[in-house]
Amino acid sequence: MKLEIGNFYVKDIVFGSALSYDKGLLTINKDEALDFIRQDERITEAQLYIAKPGDKIRLCPVKEAIEPRIRLNGKGSFPGYTSNLDKAGEGISYALKNCSVLVVGRHWGGFQDGLIDMSGEGQKYTLFGSLNNIVLVADTDEVFEQREQQKKNDALRRAGHRLAEFIAQCVKNLTPEDREVFELEAVIKRNPEIEKLPSVVYVMQPQSQMEEIGYNDLVYGWDMNRMLPTFMHPNEVLDGALVSGSFMPVSSKWSTYDFQNCPNIKALYKEHGKTINFLGVIMSNLNVALEQKERAALFVAQIAKTLGAEAAIVAEEGYGNPDADFIACCVALEDAGIKTVGVTNECTGRDGQSQPLVTLDVKCDAIVSCGNVSELIELPPMETVLGELESLGRDGLSGGWADDEILGPSVRKDGSIIMENNSMFCGDMVCGWSPKTMKEF
Amino acid sequence: MKKAVVYINQFFGQIGGEDKADFAPVFKKEKIGPALEFAKNLNAEIIGTVICGDNYMGSNADKAVDEIIELLEGKEFDIFLAGPAFQAGRYGVACGTICKAIKAKYNIPVITSMNVENPGVEMFKKDMYILKGGNIASKMRADVAAMIKLANKILNNEEIGSAQDEGYFGRGIRRQVWREDLKPASERMIEMLLKKIRGEAFETELPIPEPDRVPIAPPIKDLSKARIAILDTGGIVPVDNPDKIQSASATRWGRYNIENIDSLKSGVYKTIHAGFDPAAADADPNVVVPIDVLKTLNKEGVYGSLHPYFYTTVGTGTTQAEAMRMANEMIPYLKEDNVDGVIMVST
Amino acid sequence: MVKEVEKAGIPIVQMCNLIPVAKTVGSNRIVPTISIPYPLGDPATPKETQWKLRYSRTKTALLSLTADITEQTVFPV
Repeated sequence: MKLEIGNFYVKDIVFGSALSYDKGLLTINKDEALDFIRQDERITEAQLYIAKPGDKIRLCPVKEAIEPRIRLNGKGSFPGYTSNLDKAGEGISYALKNCSVLVVGRHWGGFQDGLIDMSGEGQKYTLFGSLNNIVLVADTDEVFEQREQQKKNDALRRAGHRLAEFIAQCVKNLTPEDREVFELEAVIKRNPEIEKLPSVVYVMQPQSQMEEIGYNDLVYGWDMNRMLPTFMHPNEVLDGALVSGSFMPVSSKWSTYDFQNCPNIKALYKEHGKTINFLGVIMSNLNVALEQKERAALFVAQIAKTLGAEAAIVAEEGYGNPDADFIACCVALEDAGIKTVGVTNECTGRDGQSQPLVTLDVKCDAIVSCGNVSELIELPPMETVLGELESLGRDGLSGGWADDEILGPSVRKDGSIIMENNSMFCGDMVCGWSPKTMKEF
Repeated sequence: MKKAVVYINQFFGQIGGEDKADFAPVFKKEKIGPALEFAKNLNAEIIGTVICGDNYMGSNADKAVDEIIELLEGKEFDIFLAGPAFQAGRYGVACGTICKAIKAKYNIPVITSMNVENPGVEMFKKDMYILKGGNIASKMRADVAAMIKLANKILNNEEIGSAQDEGYFGRGIRRQVWREDLKPASERMIEMLLKKIRGEAFETELPIPEPDRVPIAPPIKDLSKARIAILDTGGIVPVDNPDKIQSASATRWGRYNIENIDSLKSGVYKTIHAGFDPAAADADPNVVVPIDVLKTLNKEGVYGSLHPYFYTTVGTGTTQAEAMRMANEMIPYLKEDNVDGVIMVST
Repeated sequence: MVKEVEKAGIPIVQMCNLIPVAKTVGSNRIVPTISIPYPLGDPATPKETQWKLRYSRTKTALLSLTADITEQTVFPV
């Protein structure tokens, strides 16, 4: 399977008369883009903004991030989600790089939503603080969940994905500045030189713990709660087969942008043929009941073993009880004789003294740790807020609170905030970006 | 200039050897023994040296601590340095004991140094900075230098790095840090993977800690006479959540009377736990706190009686320290009512 | 919390779905439940089935408190 992504590196974004791209300058016709978004009648209010690194902007409640992409064959970038079910992972797509579409609630947030700062001390906590962002701030008529802590955010998330496709149209007839090619031969038809190298699988555990449909990550539009582990080509992940969900404290989240650019997959690709034989992705999930967790681990270990994997990476999109899925999977792989490295974040509590994962096993002797969800973060006021900052304290965001005896409210009158890392949008970057680690003090 | 006090034992205080180990504590204005070494580079003035015999501290710790605190009465100092204690067990424990007491009394930084084999390390490493020291006294210069380095950072209000970077024993506090090289997780993952495949040494970023166990409480002898209480971490509360228990990272708990009800009715009780789909628990709170069957089992005589309250908090994201505190706030109520056994339902 | 109660000398049984978690935190008596969101009654089953399940698991938990155990024990259900 061969996937080619033609890249256009966005250096600046402006609003103007026509949607266009020219030497790094992305111009968006705001009214035209908003009209397109409003085609979904559930959208009751919508505005577009630009947020670039260094801007004095704070975004909250952020719900999703998507890289603008267009498929040259004219089909949709997220098959089974924004368009009919179709293949992902091959052919040519064009991408606007260093650029994302961010979806922000105009008023209402929830457990799964987060915060991004574009400058100052808070900028480093998210990848999106360093990207050129097109920000859709919108509200919907989904009043049934307005005051629910758990929100599907369906209209808003779909609007974001559609807007990302809409914007990327402007590069369809241009020549990319560079091209990345992702190609893996069939597992049993590889060059003997490559077959001599240690074979490695990448096991992904995307978030799928909500039993009700509509909150979980999707694979080709299918709710991942309703699946058993399967073998996938890494190109499918990079090419829109995976769409992020709306459930889980957000620092653990993998946004659609993270799937499209998954650094862990790219790192394995880079080593393929040099130091390893990258077999592909075992797509697992995260479950609620112990038996489901154990069944998934059993499937993963079996697939890895049957494929002849000598080593594996396991990465989880979550913390807390998902740690049980993560540890069970690592242990099952080790028990099958497969050398395993885990990638995760930790929850050591505000005092840093709690057990880092809810289950532990001495067999998990190689873990890359990407951050602490419960780290307290205090940030000064920001000139401009896109969305509604009050939502951080009011709407049950996982890292915010209305009031606290010792710390006071999360959102203070002057616009300064105190929160847990839990609500930093995709802040722990277990998909591979994380420059953070955990140390003992 | 900031001020410091140094604590040493009878041997380094030049009082004597093993025969003087019962030496009662004294405070001397002079810099004695290691204090002279500290004085060379410490960014604080050493106002005196406390000398105490190791056996004196070992056999009358409370008394020795009280006497030392009395000796320090009215003296102002900003930091307290003890040792280094090398591999000397009694000296290490003495340094740990006095440092802990000084920290609790004055809330000032305390530093000591011990060898990894010193039993004082396990006893006190969570309470203070214990630098990783040499095993014998000939390592004095290096150990004192390491203590000075950390002390000066503290005195200058500089940020203190991790245990590994600064050379102290980890205090069981894990925090996120930005790597200096900002090397992304994806690259670290590949490096660790290749080393593991090749059988080379690698360093996990999450060492698996030793499990912490408690002794098993004796069983109930006669269940038919036993008083039972039920606790849950699934956030079942009266619908108005009167104790304002948080839906994650809880610091609050509540207890709710169930004497006169046969079951937890939907619409009267609900869950405020944010870590799972609340639909089932809201529709029937008994699926988390089984009051209905507990009442029946009681009528059937399976157990003696039910404690009149159930106790609730939320487990998700709650620190162990908070959970411990909350449990210890609940326990007196259980003891007062002579509860013989407890059921805890976790979600 | 379980450990604190046990430390206070009161026998305690943890009813939970995630047995590995209970084992890791050091609970000594463990009785499995069927899931995280509904430990003691699957809403997809009739009320009577839910009640029976809840009755038997809770009874198992009560009886576990009388068991003289010497190590961490998961009681069969």
